[in-house]
Amino acid sequence: MSIIAKVWIEEDCITCDACQDICPEVFQLTDETSQIVAAVRIDGVFDRNTGGSLLKADFGKEFVDYIKEAAEACPVDIIKFEMVETSAPAAEAEAETAAPIAEFVATVAAAAAPVSISAGTSDALTAVFSGDRTLTILFGSQTGNAAGLAEKTAKLAANYELVANAVDMDGYNPASLVGCKRVLIITSTWGEGDMPDNAEDFWQNVNSSSPTLAGVNYSVCAIGDSSYDEFCKAGVDWDQKFSALGATSIQQIQLCDVDFNEPWAAWVKTVLPRIACVDDAGIFHESLVEEMSAYGAGGDDSVSSGDFTPGTVVMDEISVTLELFRYCPSTAQSGWDTISCAVPAHATVEDLLICIQQDVDGSLAFRRGTNGGTPTTGVRVNGRIVLADIARISDLIGASGNLKIEPAPGLPIIRDLIVDLSGYEAARARAEPWMRADPREGVRLLNGAAVATMDASLATELHQKSDILSYQLIQSMSDTSSYDKAYEGPGIHLQQWLRAEDPRCGAEQRKNIISSLNETDGVWAEADLSSIARYGFDGKLAANGLNSARAYLLNASNYGGKHGRLVKWYGRSVKWTGNVNETTLYRQVLGPLGLIGNIFNGISARMLLGFTRNGGPPIRGLQGLLMPPSGIGKIPNMINSKVDAHHEVVSLFNKIDKRF
Amino acid sequence: MAKIAYYPGNTARAASMEVEDCIVPLCKTLGIELIEIPKASSDGGNIIGQASPKLQHSLVARNLALAEQKSLDIMTTCATSHAIMCDTADIIASDSVYASQLNNLISLTSGIEYLGESKSRHLLHYLVEEIGLDKISAAVINPIKLNVAGYYGSNMQREGACGNDDAFLPNYLEQLINAIGGVPVDYELKCQSVGAPSLLTLEGTAMAMTAAVLADAKQNGADIMVSACTISHSNLDSYQSRAGKLTGKDTAMPVVHLAELVAFALGHYPDRFAQLRTRALIIGS
Repeated sequence: MSIIAKVWIEEDCITCDACQDICPEVFQLTDETSQIVAAVRIDGVFDRNTGGSLLKADFGKEFVDYIKEAAEACPVDIIKFEMVETSAPAAEAEAETAAPIAEFVATVAAAAAPVSISAGTSDALTAVFSGDRTLTILFGSQTGNAAGLAEKTAKLAANYELVANAVDMDGYNPASLVGCKRVLIITSTWGEGDMPDNAEDFWQNVNSSSPTLAGVNYSVCAIGDSSYDEFCKAGVDWDQKFSALGATSIQQIQLCDVDFNEPWAAWVKTVLPRIACVDDAGIFHESLVEEMSAYGAGGDDSVSSGDFTPGTVVMDEISVTLELFRYCPSTAQSGWDTISCAVPAHATVEDLLICIQQDVDGSLAFRRGTNGGTPTTGVRVNGRIVLADIARISDLIGASGNLKIEPAPGLPIIRDLIVDLSGYEAARARAEPWMRADPREGVRLLNGAAVATMDASLATELHQKSDILSYQLIQSMSDTSSYDKAYEGPGIHLQQWLRAEDPRCGAEQRKNIISSLNETDGVWAEADLSSIARYGFDGKLAANGLNSARAYLLNASNYGGKHGRLVKWYGRSVKWTGNVNETTLYRQVLGPLGLIGNIFNGISARMLLGFTRNGGPPIRGLQGLLMPPSGIGKIPNMINSKVDAHHEVVSLFNKIDKRF
Repeated sequence: MAKIAYYPGNTARAASMEVEDCIVPLCKTLGIELIEIPKASSDGGNIIGQASPKLQHSLVARNLALAEQKSLDIMTTCATSHAIMCDTADIIASDSVYASQLNNLISLTSGIEYLGESKSRHLLHYLVEEIGLDKISAAVINPIKLNVAGYYGSNMQREGACGNDDAFLPNYLEQLINAIGGVPVDYELKCQSVGAPSLLTLEGTAMAMTAAVLADAKQNGADIMVSACTISHSNLDSYQSRAGKLTGKDTAMPVVHLAELVAFALGHYPDRFAQLRTRALIIGS
């Protein structure tokens, strides 16, 4: 069927009211011109829509006749519209039941897939092009290579009048396979013949549910590394599984080694025309393959040889119960909005927030990004600290379907999800982590200006250490910063440390940075690096970097101060016995006065008397007599026994680090 | 009978003896055979790692290799130790050059190598995923019948170190508390660090973090807290009055380790369980 993708008003409207009378849901008059109502447009703007914003799916379908009638009735013929064909009944049925946010994406997808057939095509081929032309490209990808190939394949499929979706296996429902007529699988192999992480659940689900795939035509492109014993095993497993479930192999599996582009290109060149010859009924017309190949190749050659624009990954829609943090600065009141909606799983958090802002509550405040990991778009979603413009909902939502979105922690809140980064910026300005190089030796240009040189491996190492998406996000990862207002924060310190590690950094700057990091509000103010390390790749990278800064400072100070004494005596006690001796630590780190302090401030008393921990069996019998409190507790051992083969531990210390 | 190597962590045989003497009967009741690794040393507690990550990784790789020699995974009662072992196993799996350096070292000193086959399991994950909540529930003799706040801490709550539990919205402890007849209490800060590594060096900060966790649990109706980490347990328990004094928050609450609470529910140490109930319901701390 046809729907209207977009409608707009050209200039010279005479404000005759005809269009508004016929279809007031879409057209509304102002004093000067008729305009397109904001509620029907995905951009939510009220104007003539000369920018060509798409209509939301419902409106484009529901008012198709009225919009046509209004256009015909317009005396000055300035109402223009654009139609698209939607040919898949199943997709239409889904669209009818979808919630507004899902429709937004469905509309875009429908508008993006027009079908137009070139002249000179045989009747038989034209017949194949009719009806459902959906091609599902499932990818299993660990590092992104297979996902990239899936996206490229989806682009090329358009040359054969296929409507292709590259679909992440993660979260894909095996039952959805049953209705597919055309399926391509592109998967890498991970570890020793394992499925990539995003494919593991889907693989298990297919194995457990064993759907009947009698109507499915498929082929597999497997990426692997021939130096492994289980070369391309994941792809081979999928090929065998689909075959076992009754699917028809349209082309033999393609095995690709680490240089996968060439074999993939060979595969895609033959598999696309073949799978494009599967008609609406799922029947493969082999006699048309040659003509189909010529038809596809007749398209724009640059599509297959040039750069690719990013493809669209489409995932099933999911129902979400959204809990959204709200804060109003004028009343200083905060609370939670709860919204139920359906949303495509591939949408980002920012996509969702934009839709909520447009369709539910225009007052919602959040920072927008550029869909590329904008550093200031940090929010906390279901406990994870993420950048809203790249974090996919499918990666964040749990089995419960709840999505709790709140501001990034550790920073003052301005409004709703917007946090105040001025403190961070001020701290950064004080820390001055930007480059200030000294004059130094190097290659010189013709004009005499020095060009720095750097060893390639060192440059790579520096790049890897600083491969952080957002230092603002790192700043939010520390559990400590909420409790120590003087602490400058890990995002600042990491930038300082990375600068100090850069050999181009000037001596004076390095000295200042090291001194700053060693201050009481420096890297030692972080109470627990594990609270940062838990936040994925960036968190781990940051925690490792800050730990390196500590190691440097420990060496530079020869284990001075409380922190130095803690590390030194922890190491020594382990070296002496293989175990930690806490008494040694208390004595060495706190000193005699500190220990006395523990007596006066109640800690020792709680250890001895009020401690919840209960002592060993001989003591336990007395507990009834002593209750309350419940019993004599446990104080740290004064002397540890040695572990077996203690000399091995000593030897390890001596070989690696003799400082202990 | 399920067999697993046992690593007590850095404190279970020193300041946390209560964990050590509960884990043995607990495992016996649930049909878990604990295999000692008498040569295993301290893992460095992320303290040695501040001066020398390689030394800490070597100590841990040696412990894992000792378990691997017996073809066993390692179970530990300490979240910090578990996280340290997971970190080391991860880095060995992802960096073959570094892995061979570590293996050369432990091969020279101990004559063994870690091939990445033995993995660390925390008691919590082992109980929920391997033993099963139904089996544990069926073995309960003394249901806990208290409002219990589970404390996970930040160490093991990351991808790859918390089994199949959600790293950021975990609920294994709550499931386990339910299974042993307690009432789980949900509270915001159950994964927040209490600053245990800095207890002796940043007392003020560590106490503020400790007080926040205890006060949050208490405000949400907890009678007691159960900790999955032996090191954090020390902050939460023996330092709680100090934390309360320094912050002005109500922090008084009995805190026990996971191994203790499960052992109590399974009928071990009924006298200690009775005392715990008295403390929770009458004394309040």
